[in-house]
Amino acid sequence: MNAFIDARAIPTGTILQPDVAIIGGGPAGITLALALAQTPLKVMLFESGGMEFDAKTQALYAGKVAGVSYLPLDASRMRYLGGGSNHWGGWCRPLDPIDFERRDWVRYSGWPFGIRELQPYFRRAQALVEAGPWSYDRSTKPMAEVAEPLALGSGGVYTSWFQFSRQRDSVLPTHFGERYASDLKRVANLKLFLHANATHLSLAPNAARLDHCEISTLNGRKFSVKARATVLALGAIENARLMLASRDVASGGVGNGNDLVGRFFADHPIPRDTATLVSFAGDIPGYYFNAYDLNGALVRPAFAPRDDFKRNSKVLGSLTTVENAVELDEVGKAAVITTALSLGVDASNAKAYSVGCGLELEPDPERRVTLTSDRDILGLPRLKLSNLISDSDFARYRMTMRELGRQLLAARSGMMRLNLKSREGWLAALDWGDHHLGTTRMHVDPKQGVVDADSKVHGLSNLYVSGSGVFPTYSASNPTMNLVALTLRLADHLKREMR
Amino acid sequence: MNQPRLSRRTMVASGGIAAALGAAALGLTLPRWLSHRYAPTPYDDLLATLVDREQAARLGAVARASLPSFSARAAARELRQRFEQRDLAEVLDADIREGRIAEIGGWLLPDSLAQLCTLAAG
Repeated sequence: MNAFIDARAIPTGTILQPDVAIIGGGPAGITLALALAQTPLKVMLFESGGMEFDAKTQALYAGKVAGVSYLPLDASRMRYLGGGSNHWGGWCRPLDPIDFERRDWVRYSGWPFGIRELQPYFRRAQALVEAGPWSYDRSTKPMAEVAEPLALGSGGVYTSWFQFSRQRDSVLPTHFGERYASDLKRVANLKLFLHANATHLSLAPNAARLDHCEISTLNGRKFSVKARATVLALGAIENARLMLASRDVASGGVGNGNDLVGRFFADHPIPRDTATLVSFAGDIPGYYFNAYDLNGALVRPAFAPRDDFKRNSKVLGSLTTVENAVELDEVGKAAVITTALSLGVDASNAKAYSVGCGLELEPDPERRVTLTSDRDILGLPRLKLSNLISDSDFARYRMTMRELGRQLLAARSGMMRLNLKSREGWLAALDWGDHHLGTTRMHVDPKQGVVDADSKVHGLSNLYVSGSGVFPTYSASNPTMNLVALTLRLADHLKREMR
Repeated sequence: MNQPRLSRRTMVASGGIAAALGAAALGLTLPRWLSHRYAPTPYDDLLATLVDREQAARLGAVARASLPSFSARAAARELRQRFEQRDLAEVLDADIREGRIAEIGGWLLPDSLAQLCTLAAG
């Protein structure tokens, strides 16, 4: 067993020389470290925090937010081993095939590869997030035997399924730091440093490779890591911050020759109570609200637009869940009575429910993080997040909801009310998933992406970025399981490249 | 000359039959007297398709409030075309199938039903 190393005890001026340096100990960094176990590669992982939350370390995340309301930057992330997995909800769902495609109605869309490239990694990612057997959309039939689902007429929306991470069969999602600490200690070729903050990426004078990464601790120690390959796994916001702040050789920052680092930031908007769904027959099955244990997989349904509906109606991804029972007002009762009677349906036991959702945003280069003149106590410039959301993002989701409403009427199973219409209404209902995406997007063309199809920073031979920051488009699926799959793919690439 | 005389039994029986007939007639007509009576409109042929006109009117009032330029005549003309040789169920099915979904106060319903509700609001 290799005990974790406290970086605060490393003498200043030390130069560490691993084969692979992983900067960041969240789901991506931990996944990569585990995936590189039992290779001849000497691996070092550097995590800013310790094993638990620490306010002084967390404060390094503080920054500004402008534009559309967003959680403070030091509240939407967690800076200790396990990273974002320390406060995630455990929601899992694989990306859809269309998410990888270039869609002519979605600006800047298209991954450098299709879903086939990730499919070999999904099962291993599923195991790492502990979401049970791969069930997802195979859950429809067996769940119908548990209780008849809400019927939908044929159309553009279908009932899809989430699965949930649960650490060692408990009800909690997997916290990667706590869950995999002992596994990481058992990896013979890994050294894991806690309390180690990456503060600078120092390029070689020709700016073609990373020479070393500077590490600082809150007790004043400074040392450097000179690795054959370095992987940034700090999360989408912090990866961009470190790259933008490292300007001694490349004036615009590392990997930023085309002014792309920090741009295309995204998250999943989660507007609350977007609609009211009425079931004419009364109560809908409990598994719509609470995840159901289906042979070891915790599953919960969501209404999702089909890929052909997305194409035909030019909408983006969304996942709509039924949340809680609500009371109808007099107009609502009149709508239900009038509609049900006209359709020849008995709605005397009708029940109404609030509906929530997670939305995919269209990529936008102006939704971005930039450096400010403020600095943290380690001297790193703090960030400003300029958060934007367009009316078309809301309008597209509304189209999907209208289709769902139509399909409920077609099945004579229920009806819907769309609760949000004005931009002000949407913004007032808005919450965010804290799914940081897109600041170092992937594209084969250096003018359109920061990293290439292998997650390597364009123009640099030995610097990689891992995590959801490389997603060029964002899907509506929660990113953790998908970024873990993408990281496993990166691990295979590094194994091949560094033989 | 002796007049034919009604026996007491006949009189009681006749009275009973008359009372029963009267009660039956009252029973048939009373609900109509007690229920909401609507002033005649040029659209009664359409409004007659609504099962609960009062509830429909309540919903329609919301539509009316947001559609100040609503033309009842134009809506009725459109509806009559849709209803030609079809009943309400068939018309609504066609709306749903062909994606003619209207919104009243956010509620999504077949367009023809929405129009009927708006007409019912007067």
